[in-house]
Amino acid sequence: MATRKKSLLKVIILGDSSVGKTSLMNQYVNKRFSNQYKATIGADFCTKEVVVNDRVVTMQIWDTAGQERFQSLGVAFYRGADCCVLVYDVTAPNSFKNLDSWRDEFLIQASPRDPEHFPFVVLGNKVDLDNRQVSTRRAQQWCQSKNDIPYYETSAKEGINVEMAFQTIAKNALEQEAEAELINDFPDQLRLNSENNRPSNADNCQC
Amino acid sequence: MVQTTADGMDFKERLIASVKKEVKQLMEEAVTKKYVHEDSSSVTSLCAAVEACLSQGLRRRALGLFKTSSTTALLHKIAKTCAEAEHISKLVQEIEASDPNKRSSSSSDSFNRPPMLKKSSSNSMSTSNATTSTASGSTSASVTTSVSVSASTSMSLVTMKYLWIRLALYEKRLTKIIEYLVSNAQSYYDRDALVADPDYGSILSSLLVGPCALDFTRAKTADHYWTDPHADELLQRHRISCRRSSSTCSRPAIINFKRSLNTSSDDASSCSFKSIASATVAKDYVESLHQNAKATLLYGKNNVHVQPKDVSELMPGYLSLHQHIQTLTIKWTPNQLMNGYNDAEEEDIDKEIYWAYALNINVDEIVYVHCHQSRGEDSGGTVILVGQDGVQRPPIHFPEGGHMQQFLSCLETGLLPHGQLDPPLWSQRGIGKMFLWPKSMRRRILPSVMESVDETPIDYVFRIVSKSRHEEFAATHSILDFVRSTPRRAQLSSCSTTGSSDCSNKSLSIDQYPMESPLLQQHNQNASIEMVCSTMRRQIISRAFYGWLAYCRHLSTVRTHLSGLVHGRITPEMKADEEGLTKERWELLNADGMLQDSTEFYRLIYFGGVKPELRKEVWPYLLGHYAFGTTAEERRKQDETCKHYYETTMSEWLAVDAIVQQREKEKTARAVAKLSSGSNSGNERTVRAADLDAGGELENEVFEDISDISDPGDLEFDDEQRQQQQQLQQDSASVSAAHLSVKPIPRAMKTSTDSGHVDEGLDDLDEEDEQEQEQQQQDDIKKKQPEGNQSAVTADKSVAAKSIADKEPSRSTSTTSSYETVGGAPQPGETRSPEFLSADDLQAQLPDDEEAVRPHQAAAVIITNASVDIGSCERSPKAGSQMPALSEQLEAAGSTAPNLDALQEPKSACASPASSNGGVYSSELLEQFGLNLHRIEKDVQRCDRNYWYFASENLDKLRNVISTYVWEHLDVGYMQGMCDLVAPLLVIFDDESLSYSCFCKLMERMIENFPSGGAMDMHFANMRSLIQILDSEMYDLMDSNGDYTHFYFCYRWFLLDFKRELIYDDVFATWEVIWAAKHIASGHFVLFLALALLETYRDIILSNSMDFTDVIKFFNEMAERHNAQAVLQLARSLVLQLQMIIENK
Repeated sequence: MATRKKSLLKVIILGDSSVGKTSLMNQYVNKRFSNQYKATIGADFCTKEVVVNDRVVTMQIWDTAGQERFQSLGVAFYRGADCCVLVYDVTAPNSFKNLDSWRDEFLIQASPRDPEHFPFVVLGNKVDLDNRQVSTRRAQQWCQSKNDIPYYETSAKEGINVEMAFQTIAKNALEQEAEAELINDFPDQLRLNSENNRPSNADNCQC
Repeated sequence: MVQTTADGMDFKERLIASVKKEVKQLMEEAVTKKYVHEDSSSVTSLCAAVEACLSQGLRRRALGLFKTSSTTALLHKIAKTCAEAEHISKLVQEIEASDPNKRSSSSSDSFNRPPMLKKSSSNSMSTSNATTSTASGSTSASVTTSVSVSASTSMSLVTMKYLWIRLALYEKRLTKIIEYLVSNAQSYYDRDALVADPDYGSILSSLLVGPCALDFTRAKTADHYWTDPHADELLQRHRISCRRSSSTCSRPAIINFKRSLNTSSDDASSCSFKSIASATVAKDYVESLHQNAKATLLYGKNNVHVQPKDVSELMPGYLSLHQHIQTLTIKWTPNQLMNGYNDAEEEDIDKEIYWAYALNINVDEIVYVHCHQSRGEDSGGTVILVGQDGVQRPPIHFPEGGHMQQFLSCLETGLLPHGQLDPPLWSQRGIGKMFLWPKSMRRRILPSVMESVDETPIDYVFRIVSKSRHEEFAATHSILDFVRSTPRRAQLSSCSTTGSSDCSNKSLSIDQYPMESPLLQQHNQNASIEMVCSTMRRQIISRAFYGWLAYCRHLSTVRTHLSGLVHGRITPEMKADEEGLTKERWELLNADGMLQDSTEFYRLIYFGGVKPELRKEVWPYLLGHYAFGTTAEERRKQDETCKHYYETTMSEWLAVDAIVQQREKEKTARAVAKLSSGSNSGNERTVRAADLDAGGELENEVFEDISDISDPGDLEFDDEQRQQQQQLQQDSASVSAAHLSVKPIPRAMKTSTDSGHVDEGLDDLDEEDEQEQEQQQQDDIKKKQPEGNQSAVTADKSVAAKSIADKEPSRSTSTTSSYETVGGAPQPGETRSPEFLSADDLQAQLPDDEEAVRPHQAAAVIITNASVDIGSCERSPKAGSQMPALSEQLEAAGSTAPNLDALQEPKSACASPASSNGGVYSSELLEQFGLNLHRIEKDVQRCDRNYWYFASENLDKLRNVISTYVWEHLDVGYMQGMCDLVAPLLVIFDDESLSYSCFCKLMERMIENFPSGGAMDMHFANMRSLIQILDSEMYDLMDSNGDYTHFYFCYRWFLLDFKRELIYDDVFATWEVIWAAKHIASGHFVLFLALALLETYRDIILSNSMDFTDVIKFFNEMAERHNAQAVLQLARSLVLQLQMIIENK
């Protein structure tokens, strides 16, 4: 069983409405940004093939509706997720505050096998805007308190950190699988944040 | 190519870069997937990039007088001198000659060369720009190419595009050709062309060495769908495969229904279906000939001749024997299909006939195997398979060399353990499997004949015996029992297939396992033939019976579950000359302003829609806003009432909005300040001090309320004002109220009423003030400048006052609304919290007998108070200079006040949260509504901005309508999707209050679809039943994929009435049909629309056996690209079908 590995990684993007979930997904998958995205109704997904640890995997990225009212729909989509991306808007403190409930809601609805170590990644989006209201420190603190969730500050508009964030997402999702198969948790869980990520960027560079 | 010289090296650099990128992409794909499909998008992109390079700087004259500058022409030109090019050129010509369609597309292709070049190069550039990254995302590649492709509308051109480059690549000759071109560049290219460049030219050819070494495949592998094809690609594939059948894809639904009920055999349609099916399975078929997971290949031999029916001569083909889990299949495929199967897409017309010749024989159906062989020589042999129905299959002629024997022994092996050949091959005189019949073996059945005549062909007849089937048959005993025991849904199929294949041959061989004498066998054969006849008879009867039974049950299911979905009465369709609700018909129906004949009205709309220019008049009837039979006067009054009500409500929430916005602004400003300055511990201390201060000072209950909910910063702000202005406490409250209501008023003014009467100066003031105010607020928070603070207040006041003035002249009849919020403010002495009074409270204070007088007084009070207020805090000369004008206008407004009492009634109907709260907004309410407003704002900002109506203006109207609705339905609150429902209404009416009223009517039905209601689950359940009844094949697919019970791909369809699926014009057309359908055909017309959408693409969904996620993706990608009229038509016919079924008891 350990040799047979899934080549499909299911990634769910969650977060308040208009924090930029759709934009992030499209920036990552299609390398495009549009300011004419509409509010997502229901759910949509994109697929993208990525190479992680010398393996080609297909990432299935699910974009969801941001209004929490529509979460009842989530169950069907959350099932079988390998990684959950929590997005907030650095210019909207409320969207940051709601990360807690998004995380909890996900864990309840998706009910992963090992909720403690289920891979989340937090993205603080819209860093290109200058009316920032949530400080990096505050976000990092929160992430640390939640079992060291990797944290990135991104801009879907400018494409800042998007590629890198999703690489981490893919990697963690894949590791989650490996871990689940080995049934022992590694003592050092990978922790990445915007500072110590810069060097790792060099490794990812493909020319 | 003049522009290329201008761009020079940079352009060439980019061209090369794009080739590089595409090569990399392709090689990556080759490595990661182990194969590259010929139609892969990366191949196309590479060809595009190469084409761009080759066309750059191509000399026109080099190609001859009449040639265009196409690279294809270049190829033909160099074919004379370059062997590689000659080969490819020949191939190209062959392909073009073989298909006239293609030639035309190809020539038009070359005609369009110059724009094509532009397109391809720009495409490749955009991709190279975009992909700064990494991962070998073939998805992204497919997306980019599909963009360029969809731009050229006709998708079928794709495979023909860059034909020669493509062929050269497949043939691995592209490098050679390009090398040739590079070395002979001077004769074909401009001097500054990329190909002529010593560096770039060789780079180009060396880049292509890699791709030219690849093997391209046309076979679909198991993981072909690994990279989920884009909807475009799926459509394209489908279009190709159904091109030959003239029938449109929208038909199968109807056919299918008939098929599923087994009633009539619509020959023409079922044929067309078959052809579609055969085409889509063409590839699968050839692939299935190879060994795969499902079936083991037991035997395969090429060049086996078969003479199919209607063919005069023998045809060579590939014979194969496959073992599936339960069954054994013999297949024979004509060579034409085998060799050219990969051309099936292009040359399907030619190939079509061969499909009819292919054999696919289930060994279960075969009873006898006749073998014929000439005696004395190894002449191959002929095998004829005879089915249980006695029909001979076309003879199979084996070539020389014992192939027939091998085939038979493989067949025998395959039959084990559940069956066997009778007599067994291997028992023949102990010679074993490898024998040569002519020499060593004698036919057991008629040995004498065989041996006596030497020259006659040797014939053997084997019977195929199946143990398991026999047992099964014996166990089930009677067909009736057997059929009864199967699940109901399987009945039809079990009757027709399982049942029939079960009986016959198996029953023959009950006791044949031991070796028997030929005589006994003969006897047995007679007996078994009798048995076959009797079983056939029984079968026919039982099939008819169960067919009928199944039909009845289907009908009863339909009746019980679905009869509620459609109206029982079938409305006659439109006559041929009618085309919906035209202007003439509308005038006829709407004679003297009264619309009486609702049935006719609905019928016309249901079948033909409304002419766009009539929609504004017609939609209110459709939505139930206007009642039928009302006079124009009644309707006008109704509209007025609605408008008044709308404005009243709006002014209520605007006040709240103001407070919310102010709080928001303060909060934001504070957060920003905190974040930017960082070291503001002192600042915080002041805030806290101010907080305490305020708490101690405030005895006023109302103000306390505000202080509770407002942020410290907010309070501080008020506090300072109070200290500086030395005003009364109430005054200060009123100042803050006025201040707070500044923001929304310009919006209200801009949108709800026309501001023709406002003088220019006011507008200027308004804008300036706003700017000033904002700036000052910033200053205020950051620097705590008392001066700025003061003038801000002044400005606010003047704007607030002005807004009153502004509204008055334009709507002399509905002044109350503006008084309710703003007008209350200057009466501090009368009540404790006048500024937050709603209309009801204000009215309640006024004794009934004084009504005629009081409003006027109130207005007068307003004027005096306002002027006093403004005067008292007048420091800013700018605001002051506007004063006289303002008070004048207020006065004018005041004089119209007596009109008010005529309009008091609608207010009693107003059940706003504000009034029930007794005029004071609880912090809970503020918070709740604020959150809603925030969400509305965010969604409004991104609602159909690419549609002209919402491109820049009209967003405020959208916001107002939704906010009003949410204010009135605060328990429901705003939910995403409401924007999408209001938007089309607003586009049609371009009137807020009418849109609002109609939206309310619309929401009566739609609200149930939102998460708070239960309609969505009901829709899903109904969809399931409908599909089960109307398209059993689709149902089977969905059922097998499990998760389909959820039908989430329909979620957005139902939530928004297909608003996101269609473009605006189609949304209008679809909505009005939905609304009309409710009265004339079905209250659940959306279900049929959904079904119609599904049916439109059913063949794509079925042939790709899409699962839950595939369908979601497909329809998301197809959004706004459906043919709405066709879908509507199909939906109507589906309704009719269901009505017919229900009626036909």
